Amino acid sequence: MRRTTLLSLAALALVAIGAIGFGVANIAPLDVLAIIGKSLFGLPIGGEISAGSTSIVMEIRLPRILAAIAVGAALATSGAAFQSLLRNPLADPYVLGTSSGAALGAAIAFLLPITGIAWELGGVQLAAFVGALASVALVWRIAGIGSGEERIASVLLVGYAVASLLAAALSLVMLASGANLRAIFGFLLGGLDGVTWPRLAAAAVPIALATLLLARRGRALAAFLLGDEGATHLGIDVRRERRIAVALATLATASAVALAGLVGFVGLVVPHLARLAVGSDPRAVFPLSAIGGALLLLLADTVARTIGVPVGVITALIGAPFLLWLLHRARAGYAL
Amino acid sequence: MSTNSSTSDTAPYELLGAKNLQVDLGGTTILQDVSLSIGPGERVAIVGPNGAGKTTLMRALSGAVPATSGEIILCSEPIQNLSRETIARSIAVVSSDIALPFATRVDELVALGRIPHGRGPAGPSAHDRERANAAIERVGASHLQRRDVRTLSAGERQLAAVALGLAQETPILALDEPTAHLDLRHRMEIADLLISLAGDETIMKTKRTIVAIFHELDIVRDGFSRVILVSNGTIAADGTPAEVLTAERISSAWGIPLERAARL
Repeated sequence: MRRTTLLSLAALALVAIGAIGFGVANIAPLDVLAIIGKSLFGLPIGGEISAGSTSIVMEIRLPRILAAIAVGAALATSGAAFQSLLRNPLADPYVLGTSSGAALGAAIAFLLPITGIAWELGGVQLAAFVGALASVALVWRIAGIGSGEERIASVLLVGYAVASLLAAALSLVMLASGANLRAIFGFLLGGLDGVTWPRLAAAAVPIALATLLLARRGRALAAFLLGDEGATHLGIDVRRERRIAVALATLATASAVALAGLVGFVGLVVPHLARLAVGSDPRAVFPLSAIGGALLLLLADTVARTIGVPVGVITALIGAPFLLWLLHRARAGYAL
Repeated sequence: MSTNSSTSDTAPYELLGAKNLQVDLGGTTILQDVSLSIGPGERVAIVGPNGAGKTTLMRALSGAVPATSGEIILCSEPIQNLSRETIARSIAVVSSDIALPFATRVDELVALGRIPHGRGPAGPSAHDRERANAAIERVGASHLQRRDVRTLSAGERQLAAVALGLAQETPILALDEPTAHLDLRHRMEIADLLISLAGDETIMKTKRTIVAIFHELDIVRDGFSRVILVSNGTIAADGTPAEVLTAERISSAWGIPLERAARL
C-alpha cells in the first residue's frame, strides 16, 4: 500500500475515535477505546466508566460513525468508478439517476401506511434502495449499457433525462404528501440521525462487498482511461467490465443512499482530491477515495450533529467551494 | 499454443495474416476479399484514401472488430481462439489521438501498457514501472516522463503513444496514422523511430514487426520495405514502394489526375 493511503487510514482511525467521544456528553478518546474494547472484545479495562457513557458510545455514536464511514467510502468509490467508466470528471455516484430514484422510492414509502415492525426494519430505506436500482435499470435499458452500441454521451444524457422524469414524479408526490413533507425533505437533504445497528448492517454489508469487488476491477477501469477502443487493445472485455462496474457502483450507491439519504458532493469531489495525491490510475484512486470519502463524511456529520443540521447541507457547504477551488487550480495548472 | 494440431508443426509460423477477410459494420461491407500475410521483423505501411478501410483493417487484424467471413491469423492461431489478453500480448495498437479525461503523467499513461501482463487488482508493479520507463527512454521521451499528457504538443503526445504501445512488449506494433497532425520534422522523427523499432528484438525472440497507416507517401517510400494499398475496401496492391506506388495506382486510388499523381 502507498504511504498516502496508510497515512490517511491512520488519520481516519484517529478522527473516528475523536468523533465517537465528541458530543453533548464528551467522552475522552482513551475511555472510548476502553468502552469499545470492553463491549466488543470483553477486555477487562476501565473500572470507572459509567453505564451511560457505554450506552452512548455503543448504541448511538458508534453505529452513526460507522455509517458515516461506510456511506462516505461508498459514495467516493462509486464516484471514482463512474468518473473512470464514463470518462467524465463531472460524473458522480448519482449520474445514472440513483438519487432521484431513491428519493422517489423514499417519498412513496413515507406516504404508505407503513408502521410498527416494517418501519423499524427500515421500510423507507428499502424503498429508497429499490428506487435507486430501478432508475439505474431504466437508464441501463434505454442507453443499452453493455450492448456494445452505447455511446458515453448518450449514457449521460439518458441518465439526465431519467433523473429529470423521476424528479418531476417526486415533486408530485411531495405536493400530495401533506404532513409527510418534512420527512421527505429530510431524506433529500441527507442525514445519519437515528442509524441503528440493524440498518447499518443492512447497508454496510452490500457496501463493503461492492467496494471491494469494484477495487478488484481496477485493472479494467484503468484501461477505460484510454476509451473503449484503447481498453479493448489492452485486452479488456469492455462490455463485460462496464456491466460489472456499473452494477457494483450502483449497489454501493443505492445502499449508501438508503442509509443516509441524498448526501451530495462527497462522490464528486473526493476522487478528484485523491487524483491530486496519487495520479489518475483507478487502482491508486479507489483506496484513497474510500478513505477520503469516509473521512470527509465523518467530519461533516460531526459538524452536522453538533449544530443540528442535515449532513447533506454541510457536505454541500464544504464541497461546492472546494469544487470551485479545484476548477481555479485547473486554470493554474492542475487540469481536472 | 495450447491447441495441439498437426498443421502447426508442418505449416510455417504465421505472425499475422488474413484470408478472404470480409468485415461488415452496421450492415455495410467495409472490407472484402482481403488476404495478406505479415512476418516477423517486417515494416509494413498501409496507405489509401480516406474511408478506404485502412483503420477497419487494422481493427480487424487486432480483433477489435469481428470478421464477418474469412479468417484472421495471429501468432499461427485463428484470432477467435485467442483471449483478449493474449491478443493484447501479441499486438499493440497505437491510436493517433489519445484523449485522457483526467490529468495523467506520461509515465502513468505508458504504465497502462502493462495491463495485459498484469495480474490481480494492484497497480503497476516495480517491474511494470521499469518496463514503462524503458519504453519512454526508447522513444527518447525521458524528459517528458512527469509531464501531464494533456499539456504535451502533438509530436510529444505521439511519442508518448508509441511508448505506450512499446510498453505492451508485443511482437507486433500497429499504429493508426502516427504522423497525423505533425509538422515535417516531427513526422520524420516518428518515421525514423518506427524504422529503428522494427529492428529491436522483442521478448518473443523475434524482431519487432511494425504495421502503420500513413498518408504521407514520401515517408513510406523512404523507410518502409512493403506497402499495402487499400482502396474501396480491398487490397489494391501489396509489394515494395516502387511496385505499389506507381502514378497509375495513385491516380486511380485517390482519384487524382495522372500527371499530378506522377509528381507525388
